[in-house]
Amino acid sequence: MSIIDWFLDRFRLKTLHRGIFDRDIPEGINYFYCFGGIAFTALLVCIISGLFLSVHYIPSEKEAYQSIIKIHEEVYLGKLIRGLHKWSANVLIVSIVIHSIRVFITKSYRPPRELNWIVGVLIFVVVMLESFTGYLLLWDQKAYWATVVGTNIAGSIPIIGETVLLLIRGDYEVTGKTLIRFYSLHILWFPLIMMILLWAHFHMIKRLGISKPL
Amino acid sequence: MKKKFYPDYLVEILFFAIITFELILILAFVFPPQIGKEIDFLGSYKPRPEWYYLWLFFLLRFFPADTVFIGGILIPLVVLSFLIFIPWIDKKIGWRLTALIAFAILVLLIVATLIEGLL
Repeated sequence: MSIIDWFLDRFRLKTLHRGIFDRDIPEGINYFYCFGGIAFTALLVCIISGLFLSVHYIPSEKEAYQSIIKIHEEVYLGKLIRGLHKWSANVLIVSIVIHSIRVFITKSYRPPRELNWIVGVLIFVVVMLESFTGYLLLWDQKAYWATVVGTNIAGSIPIIGETVLLLIRGDYEVTGKTLIRFYSLHILWFPLIMMILLWAHFHMIKRLGISKPL
Repeated sequence: MKKKFYPDYLVEILFFAIITFELILILAFVFPPQIGKEIDFLGSYKPRPEWYYLWLFFLLRFFPADTVFIGGILIPLVVLSFLIFIPWIDKKIGWRLTALIAFAILVLLIVATLIEGLL
C-alpha cells in the first residue's frame, strides 16, 4: 500500500474520489464549459495570494498605507503577490460573467438545476462585495473616496439609511473602524460565505451531473 | 467515444488551470499594481471605481442627492432578482423573451461601462 493509498484510506476517500473520477461527461460539450473551472482557478490564486498578503498587511489607519509600501519594497516577491491578487480578481469576475452567459445560453439553469443557478448568482454577489471591501484596504486617496461614495449610497436609503451606514462604516465617517470592518469582511466573513456557497455549487454539480448540451 | 472525467476531462481542466495561472502571472508582471496617493481627508475628490463598478457609477449620474438609492440599490436589486428568478421567468414567458431581457441588460451594462470608462 503506497503512502497515497494510506492517506486516502484514512480519510475514507477511496470510494468518493472513484465516484468523481468515473463520472461520465456528456457528449458535445465545448470549450465554453471551461469557464467555471477557470473562475475556480482564479479564485484559488486569489485565496493563496491573499493568504500571503494578510501576513504583511496591517489593517490600521496609521499603518495600512505604509504596510503596502513595505509589501512593494521590502517583502520578497511582495509586489508580484499583490499583482497576482489584483489580476486574479479581475480574471475571476470576467470568467464568472462568461460562465453565467454560457449557463444561460445552454439553458443549464432549468430544473433540476435551478438552485445551483441561484447559488451561482449569490457567489457572484459575494465576489462583487469582496472586490468592494478589498478596494478600501489600499487606504489611499482613490480607495478612501471610492468607499465614501459607495457607502453613501447605502446611507441614502429612506428611513433605515443612517442605521445601515453606521453598521457598514462603524462611524459617521469612513475611519479606521471602517477599515478594520472591511478587512474582517474581506478576509473572514465573505470567504467563509463563499466556501459554503461553493461547496453547495460543486456538490450539486457532482450529484446532478453536467447538463446535457442542446 | 464517450468521454470520461478521468483522464479525458481532467487533463483539459488541468490544462486550462495552468493557462489561467499563466495569464494571471503575465498580467501581474506586465501591469504591476501601483501605490496610490496618500489620503487627502480635506479636499473633496471624485474617485473613479475599478472597471467592474463603472456601470453603477454611470447609473448614479441619473440620480442626484436624495434619490441615489434608486440607482445605487433599487435598480441593482431588481436586476439581481431578475437573475435569481430566471429559471421561473423562463417557464412563464419562454426562453426567447427571457433571453431578450437578459441580452438587453447585458448590452446596457456594457454600454454604460464603455461610456463611463471613456468619459
